[in-house]
Amino acid sequence: MRSNDGALKEERLAFPFLVPALVVLCGISLYPLIQGITRMFYTYRALAQQTVFVGFQNVELLFQDPLFLRAFSNTLVWTITSVGMQFVLSYWLATMLNSRFLRFRRMFRGIALVPWALPPVVVSLMWRYIFLNGGPLNTILHSLGMAHPPNWLTDPHLALWTCIITNIWMGIPFVTVMILAGLQTINKDIVDAAAIDGASYIQTQVNIIVPSIKKVVLIILTLETIWTFNMFDIVFILTKGGPGNASLTLPLYAYENAFMYYQAGYGAAIGLLILLCLLVVVVFYIREVLR
Amino acid sequence: MRMSPVKQVLLHVFVVLFMLLLAFPMAFLLFNSFKTEQGIIASPMGVPREVTFVNYQEIFTESTFITNFKNSSLVALATVLLSIIVSTPAGYALSRFRFRGRTMFSMWLLATQSFPGIIMVLGLFTVLKTYHLLNTIPGLVIMYTSFSMPFSIWLLKGYFDKIPVALEEAARIDGCGRVRSLVKIVLPLSVPGLLAVGTFSLLLSWNEFFFALVIMRDNAHYTLPVFLARFMGSGGVVRWGPLSAAALLACIPVLILFMLGQKYLVSGLTGGAIK
Repeated sequence: MRSNDGALKEERLAFPFLVPALVVLCGISLYPLIQGITRMFYTYRALAQQTVFVGFQNVELLFQDPLFLRAFSNTLVWTITSVGMQFVLSYWLATMLNSRFLRFRRMFRGIALVPWALPPVVVSLMWRYIFLNGGPLNTILHSLGMAHPPNWLTDPHLALWTCIITNIWMGIPFVTVMILAGLQTINKDIVDAAAIDGASYIQTQVNIIVPSIKKVVLIILTLETIWTFNMFDIVFILTKGGPGNASLTLPLYAYENAFMYYQAGYGAAIGLLILLCLLVVVVFYIREVLR
Repeated sequence: MRMSPVKQVLLHVFVVLFMLLLAFPMAFLLFNSFKTEQGIIASPMGVPREVTFVNYQEIFTESTFITNFKNSSLVALATVLLSIIVSTPAGYALSRFRFRGRTMFSMWLLATQSFPGIIMVLGLFTVLKTYHLLNTIPGLVIMYTSFSMPFSIWLLKGYFDKIPVALEEAARIDGCGRVRSLVKIVLPLSVPGLLAVGTFSLLLSWNEFFFALVIMRDNAHYTLPVFLARFMGSGGVVRWGPLSAAALLACIPVLILFMLGQKYLVSGLTGGAIK
């Protein structure tokens, strides 16, 4: 009885503090989510100029739509390679920035953070300029002796990879800082002791470093996967999904359907598929954070 | 532990290369903003041979840049304040009370990360339309607050957890209520947490593009990212001179504030993830 009373009392105390957040959460998060999902049951008929209920038709259409399948496979490539490369490069950079033999450590760490603060739109147009046909990168390649440097933005085999490179660049600061913070929690004496006992580089990594930063690594990987899967700005600014649909990704395709072709229902169906993919990832994220 | 001199040199070489790669692209914006269009074509990556201010002049006098800059500033300021106001009490409740649905609430906060932009923007479009908030700054601010709130609550909860409950209990014996003890005792000790939340919401609201693109419908209401994207897309050829000038100016405020606040943001982000 007593404990029950106590719990109720805490709820009465907590509730007033939670009201503003609950209002925002229900009104501007939960309701729009449900509202957005229900859009996929409707379609806009341009001739009749009305929106009609079509059940799961939009979802069924998805799997017969070659453009959707293209965008889906592009998004998988985009997410896996971006997150993978971001992690590898950031791990390398973080290890170096964590080395006690590095001078000017604070200055280097400050510089490494810069891309994090920049608006993704600015990052994208900056890299669009760099990748331009007569732009800086090709000027360098040309002076290095490459007679015909690639058309980074307009070659269908390269366009998606050009976007991926930009995304990797943009993500490095966040991942590096998080890994670095993880590395800094490791007691250097233990690493030294392992070295004295004759542990190899690989043994030290596998037995000491990786277990110590496992949690932060899992959080970074899940968060980056979610953010990258949802990323819209870079592809929109760099290639608009082109040439043709070579670099089309799901968020861009959903946007085009909803806001350029008046097919909000189809856009919502694409959104639902994104949500289903990301729910799998977010479960791992929540489990790690709450652990 | 020692490191051979060769390895030490290599370490510095690689780090410097990384830094160049991370910082140098910004230099193109700077250089191009002071070149004429012909100057950019003639030398796409060098320092400007003769410095010109025509690009800056153009974006200030012939575009809506100043209005869009004001919009972005207003949106960012309002989002930062509103995020703090909404998140502080919720973070406090999560930290101090054990209530039913507490775990559900936390899980929901974390799960919002995974909601696809397209679904949210379709739903929010309807909500904002109902309240006549489409194409308005308050509409954008409300949206951004809902985006920054989950993380802000989580971060502040982490900070409040570190403040001993005993401090508040002592005050309560002296007749201090919950709200007063939050404002007078807990908040002054959580300034780093508030700065972290502020930096986070600033980055989010200043840099966000997708939702602003859909919600804001005309030049007078665009925020800077939308202005830049529209400026790039207007006309056949991209005019890199004025675009670079505008892009550079759009980065400066957020870069300066980020450099001041990054220390708090980083420790807030990693504090929860590492323990």
